[in-house]
Amino acid sequence: MKAPENHEDLLKKQKDLLKKQKGIYVILPAYNEEKTIKDVMEELVGLGVNLLVVDDGSIDHTYHVSRGFLEKYPSQVSLYRHPLNRGLGGALRTGIEAALQKKASIIVTFDADGQHHSLDIIPLCLPIIKGDADVVIGKRNFQEMPFRKKFGNVVMNIITLIFYGKNVEDSQSGLRAFSRKAASLMELHSRDYGVSSEIVGEVSRHHLQLLEVPITTIYTDYSLSKGTNTKVGLKILAKLIRDVFK
Amino acid sequence: MIYQYIGLAIGIIGIIITFLRFKNGKMSLNMVLVWSVIWILLIVFSIYPDTTSLLASVTGIGRGLDLILIIGLIGCYYFIFRIYNLIENVEEEITALVREIALERGQSRDAEVKNPPEKDNDPDTE
Repeated sequence: MKAPENHEDLLKKQKDLLKKQKGIYVILPAYNEEKTIKDVMEELVGLGVNLLVVDDGSIDHTYHVSRGFLEKYPSQVSLYRHPLNRGLGGALRTGIEAALQKKASIIVTFDADGQHHSLDIIPLCLPIIKGDADVVIGKRNFQEMPFRKKFGNVVMNIITLIFYGKNVEDSQSGLRAFSRKAASLMELHSRDYGVSSEIVGEVSRHHLQLLEVPITTIYTDYSLSKGTNTKVGLKILAKLIRDVFK
Repeated sequence: MIYQYIGLAIGIIGIIITFLRFKNGKMSLNMVLVWSVIWILLIVFSIYPDTTSLLASVTGIGRGLDLILIIGLIGCYYFIFRIYNLIENVEEEITALVREIALERGQSRDAEVKNPPEKDNDPDTE
């Protein structure tokens, strides 16, 4: 937890505000994340938000680690397990549906690979609490991004613009927040990483208010090996083209 | 010519397999018609190779064999496209099913946290 020291009071206030919001549900889609999910969950539980883990058919101990948390914090943690691996898009949809069933007022998606800073949830939720936005995307700093990643992400932004007609600064960020209304409007079909672009498309289709707030990204060798790289980008492109001809 | 016998044999085997699959309920009637036409054309072209030249001159493509190859290639691509879409649909259905299972089991888990959920063997009757 390394927030700027001089903002400590403000941060504490914001944290309290977050704790007062009972309806914040953080979706953690996890596929073979046994190494990182424990720390991620610990941080988030500490923030006082509700956790919704979707284990996407992991073949490691992700499920057992998450279950440990479920037993420790039964009021805060829920756990869903896909019997088969269905990809990020599939896991997010399960999470969103579950959160809606639980009457969530704000739904946050959070990567389980440890690349996000848990406190970044606060600036993400604030605009929704205040009613300034329906969907908030946490935009990563592309300057700090390794080239390999930057290239894939820039390409994906362009592709998102071409196919969904919406220009965003970071279409592939895994950290997003939805108001309940926005989440229930999302009609997502993509099973893999293409879901991130699809979300942007749904935002523009339903004319939802979108806001992008800067977030910090923690790059480790582990988190770098996942997510949007050039190969994934090409795969998403192929899928998008196919969708056009469908 | 030997290729005529081979074509004829493949055509007949194709028709038999098509009909058997239909009989076993593994093929829809539409597909039976499509495949029957394909196999019958193969048989006709094998027995009367000259008909291809006739068709070729009608369509403006030089040789009969070229026409067959072109049609065959287009047909193949069409079937690949169909199969691809079919698989996509099946994948989508599996995802929906998996989601349904995950949501159902997850909910009952709230109530009975203590029960050991060994991977697949809990029937979870509510």
